[in-house]
Amino acid sequence: MAVDKVIEIPVSLEVPIGPQHPALHEPVMLKVYAEGEEVVKVEVNTGYNHRGIEKLVEKNSFYRNIFIVSRVCGICNIVHSNAYVRAVEQVMGIEPPGRAKYLRVLAMELERIHSHMIINAIMAEVLGYDTLFMYIMRDREKVMKAKEILTGNRVLGDYLMVGGVRRDLSEVDRERIKDVLIKLEPEVRKYIRVFEEDETIGKRLRGVGVVKPKDVTLHGLVGPTARGSGVNIDARREGYDAYGEVPFNIIVRSDMDSWSRMMVRWHETIESINMCKYVLENLPSDGPAVPDETKLPRKFPVGEAFTRVEAPRGELTYYVMSDGRQNPWRVKIRTPSFNNIINSGFSYIGYTIADVPVILTSYDPCISCMERAIVTDLRRGEKKYVRFKDLNRGLK
Amino acid sequence: MEALSELVKKYALTTYSMKPNRLVIEIPRDRVKEVLKAIKEGCGDTGIYVSTIVGTDFPDKKQVRLDYYLVTHPDDNVYVLRTWLPREDPKVDSILDLFPGALSGECETYDLLGVVFEGNLFIRREFFVPTDVASKEVFPLRKDSGV
Amino acid sequence: MSRAKVISYSPWIAHFNTGACNGCDIEVLAALTPLYDPERFGVKLSPSIRHADILIVTGAVTKKAAERLKRLYEQMPRPKYVIAVGACAIDGGVFSKSYSVVAGADRVVPVDIYVPGCPPRPEAILDGVVQLVQKLRSAVV
Repeated sequence: MAVDKVIEIPVSLEVPIGPQHPALHEPVMLKVYAEGEEVVKVEVNTGYNHRGIEKLVEKNSFYRNIFIVSRVCGICNIVHSNAYVRAVEQVMGIEPPGRAKYLRVLAMELERIHSHMIINAIMAEVLGYDTLFMYIMRDREKVMKAKEILTGNRVLGDYLMVGGVRRDLSEVDRERIKDVLIKLEPEVRKYIRVFEEDETIGKRLRGVGVVKPKDVTLHGLVGPTARGSGVNIDARREGYDAYGEVPFNIIVRSDMDSWSRMMVRWHETIESINMCKYVLENLPSDGPAVPDETKLPRKFPVGEAFTRVEAPRGELTYYVMSDGRQNPWRVKIRTPSFNNIINSGFSYIGYTIADVPVILTSYDPCISCMERAIVTDLRRGEKKYVRFKDLNRGLK
Repeated sequence: MEALSELVKKYALTTYSMKPNRLVIEIPRDRVKEVLKAIKEGCGDTGIYVSTIVGTDFPDKKQVRLDYYLVTHPDDNVYVLRTWLPREDPKVDSILDLFPGALSGECETYDLLGVVFEGNLFIRREFFVPTDVASKEVFPLRKDSGV
Repeated sequence: MSRAKVISYSPWIAHFNTGACNGCDIEVLAALTPLYDPERFGVKLSPSIRHADILIVTGAVTKKAAERLKRLYEQMPRPKYVIAVGACAIDGGVFSKSYSVVAGADRVVPVDIYVPGCPPRPEAILDGVVQLVQKLRSAVV
């Protein structure tokens, strides 16, 4: 009997996994439209985390804003304050001493280590590999200890100030941080082996969420997401702070899939550990790392500056404009996740619903970084007929 | 970049530099799309990306300033395309079809500052501005918004 | 035995970010990992809000998240308790004057325990949970 008619039955399914979700820690909503199991369209829908920071910093003075911008994102607070402080320094014409620059690099690299470890841990949990999650989180506590020794707090240290850093590093603390890093490195190498050799991880990550180099630049993707696709974008090459003096390799892999992005992060962790060791061994003592707060200028010249920092998630940019008053006229923050998450909707198409959390996690979503978020829509790939509507509001 | 210096000669109203070491190129507002198209053709698909779009309000001048921050790849130079829009009617052509990555920046600039990107179908209010502010028809980053 | 007393032997936690900077979130996450071992108190992360006994709120409550927070709280089964973690969840912190922020979590849902800090250490977060559990056992709540 020949089939001459097919009746398609509209199936609409909503799977609300959020907005709170145990594994993923931020409020974002992905509207996934799927046909059967295949994703045909994705809308990124957030805005739960918009705190109006750009308006808030216009109402506060240049120095008070250092505390506000570090609270844009707790995970990458030092890179945020670094970008802001360097922009203010550019406007005011202040150059911090070499020791302060080295200490800033040390703080930023420690932050990169813990950020990369936490997203790899979360990736392990998303894959259902809870044991690995717990192991990585246990070893991550070592880095938090090192951060605490350096900045005074585990997460938000408010370590930077205009003209330097807030506390100097003593000889004893230097040895303690070095000790932590020496203990950490074999653990990280162990996890790299797990990610390379484990069959389950390979099956879930390899070939999933392929992003071509052309799409990276057109959609403005940055950071490990770009480097995992073979596009060598790294703001550290500008040589800000002491990055011009500390030797490091930029990790670029060309597999283009989720696995490649996670491996970029792991190898950058090793690279960061080596950078931290270099900084600790070659810390110059050319001037006081902590400037005298009472002698900082209270008048601000008219001017503007645009700074880029390589945050753990990619290129972070700050634009600071002063009109000569106590408060900045305009501060524009463009965080890496703002580009990586909102513009990456295209990359989910053609994969299954189960792959969506994996792909999203591989971009390292930092929703509080986006903090103002929008709807993405993709015009291509949309099909006219019945949609199996699936709502994955995971990633709380 | 040779192609760029030709473009500067052809379109720029004025050029100056911003700290640290960024070249600012001011262009008339109706040429934005034309210039970006020429730049994209000069650099190729993987040669350049739109890093940031910054809108700034200047109530004294009755103007809104729009900056496009472009980063070239792989040599990592930052160029700033700057254009001025009238404050009452801030309209500019969307560059979404050239650089899909401009989506986040354009949507944000509309919701916070009220710059209309003609051709971008995705811009709308309440993207992230809460309903009570958006319903008052004010844009938070305007200096006179009062929020 | 009251129902409140029953859950005190193994309270399940749900965690909701209402607009935090992630600082508190990663500390809540850290508090659930082996070094701090919350399971010695029977504390576990619940897979769904409908299984949760304690809601941990982090971050200044934004206007959009306020509706969500209210809905989440209504979805929790009784008896239910809320812990506000961090300066922002207590009164809005540095964001309290912003146009898109409601301020503290107690403007939206009743809060039982406040854990101060920016961000609080994982030990402090666990201490907040333990204090709530003790309160339940002594049946004050």
